Amino acid sequence: MTKKIGLTTTVPVEIIYAAGMVPVDLNNIFIAGDAPGKAIDVAEQAGFPRNVCGWIKGLYTTLLESNDIRDVVAVTQGDCSNTHALMETWQLAGVRVYPFAFPYDRDYDLLKLQMEKLISAFGTDWEQVYQWKRRLDHVRKKAWQLDQMTWQMGTVTGEKNHLALVGCSDFNGDPDEYERYLDALIDEAKGSAKEGSPKVEPVRIGYIGVPPITTDLYAYIESMGGQVVFNEVQRQFAMPFHVDDLVEQYRMYTYPYSIFERLKDIEAEVQRRNIQGVIHYTQSFCFRQIEDIIIRKQLPVPVLTLEGDRPGPLDARSRMRVDAFLDMLQA
Amino acid sequence: MNIGLDLGSRYVKALFMQDGQVVDHRLYDTLKFYREYGRKVNEELLVDYEALNWPEFDRLVSTGYGRNLVQLAGGQVIPELRAHSRGAVHQTGLSDFTLLDLGGQDSKVIKIQKGRMVDFRTNDKCAASSGRYLENMAEVLGLKVQDLGHCLENPVELSSTCAVFGESELIGKIIEGHPIEDLAAGVNRTIVKRVEPMLRELYSPTIVFTGGVAQNKAIGQMIRDILQVEVIVPANPQLNGAIGCCV
Repeated sequence: MTKKIGLTTTVPVEIIYAAGMVPVDLNNIFIAGDAPGKAIDVAEQAGFPRNVCGWIKGLYTTLLESNDIRDVVAVTQGDCSNTHALMETWQLAGVRVYPFAFPYDRDYDLLKLQMEKLISAFGTDWEQVYQWKRRLDHVRKKAWQLDQMTWQMGTVTGEKNHLALVGCSDFNGDPDEYERYLDALIDEAKGSAKEGSPKVEPVRIGYIGVPPITTDLYAYIESMGGQVVFNEVQRQFAMPFHVDDLVEQYRMYTYPYSIFERLKDIEAEVQRRNIQGVIHYTQSFCFRQIEDIIIRKQLPVPVLTLEGDRPGPLDARSRMRVDAFLDMLQA
Repeated sequence: MNIGLDLGSRYVKALFMQDGQVVDHRLYDTLKFYREYGRKVNEELLVDYEALNWPEFDRLVSTGYGRNLVQLAGGQVIPELRAHSRGAVHQTGLSDFTLLDLGGQDSKVIKIQKGRMVDFRTNDKCAASSGRYLENMAEVLGLKVQDLGHCLENPVELSSTCAVFGESELIGKIIEGHPIEDLAAGVNRTIVKRVEPMLRELYSPTIVFTGGVAQNKAIGQMIRDILQVEVIVPANPQLNGAIGCCV
């Protein structure tokens, strides 16, 4: 059986595929699992504090319960500092950890060195890695097309957009199958060209921040008259850059670096996609809540900050806030 | 006759309005209201109007926590912050101000310009700046919640971070021997500390203060002193959301 490599977040998956292994984004299997809430309970019973991000706790249990994954690439810089302790608890349980660090200042040489270390650890080479880059870019282009259909034609819902783009972190471990999935979504969107124009145009919402842990956010926004036409981090997972140099590609990927790099991308997309309001989602207890200060100062459109903790439907308080935000933008 | 119904977390407020004038109102304990007068049928809240003995009405508009959780049968539902904004504009006749609404479980700060909501903040997942917090703290001090409103001077420094740990901290301070009035002033002060950043962020020289907590005069005065702003408490602060449903 092909060896599976767990990921704590997006890393250069070209390297893993080039090594003949299968990347598995643990976030995706945690949240799509049967009982994500239970995974958090298990981590808390093991001693993870209440006031730690739900994703970290979910990842902990998910990996330990996936007997076929005993190796993991853990991002130690550019994602979440809790990953340090997370990967150490895994090591204690006998999991082999390959640390990977995105240099904060986007230094080309440092990033290249990180990638080379991964290439050597997994026993592959640049040539094979570049072959996989070309293969994956071909699939990514379909994700970009779907994204374009989302904001230009409104034929793809915010939720489908989210799911299609977020999966580009590992291509669900099977790029061929993933390409077919994207093709089907594109065909479906082509077939569902908007019939006439609705009486009330939905409010165009940009979603920024990590993917939500809540299950019904997109559906709720839509039911209240909004449409998500931009999923910031998910779009970044699909690497929407026309660049041949792989190191450059992961330098252009905004998520692991300074908030100002992310804001440049967000501001450009807010303008390009005619976004009326931005929802900034953060996890409870996350350092990104502090970045909210900067986001609010920099963005030219109203910002609603939503906080999520555990998997499940939106709580009444968050619903009230989404209601008020859309109501305000509709006025 | 219009009826405005504000389904709050602590109290349900029903307000009866005829030709723009408040005729009457009722206040129900929330749990009691749902237990005695409401039942859920097909995702809708059916209210036993007969048992409530309300006057005949032409229009019923409700608002409240998560309007989708409670779809009142036979009535229109409006978003909570819209109801509060409208109520405050109607009650004060002002069109530019910052609305501070401190209710049973949450706090809202809404910036109003030209009579419309242009921005808002609500508290994070915590009840430390709510009426429920004041009720708990008053009980620890052996006071009625209404009595807290007289305590303004010499506030004892209390951590404002948690409504639950706040109680044990308060008990510790009682043991240290601080006068009850100073402790009560300290409790009031914690509320102000919690909402101060939101009020500064959405600053206006005039603050309209509503919600049950607005009946606490000391808190209004502390906000006046700290932010150097005018604080207006309308005639019916606790009924503001219900009024907003009627206008």
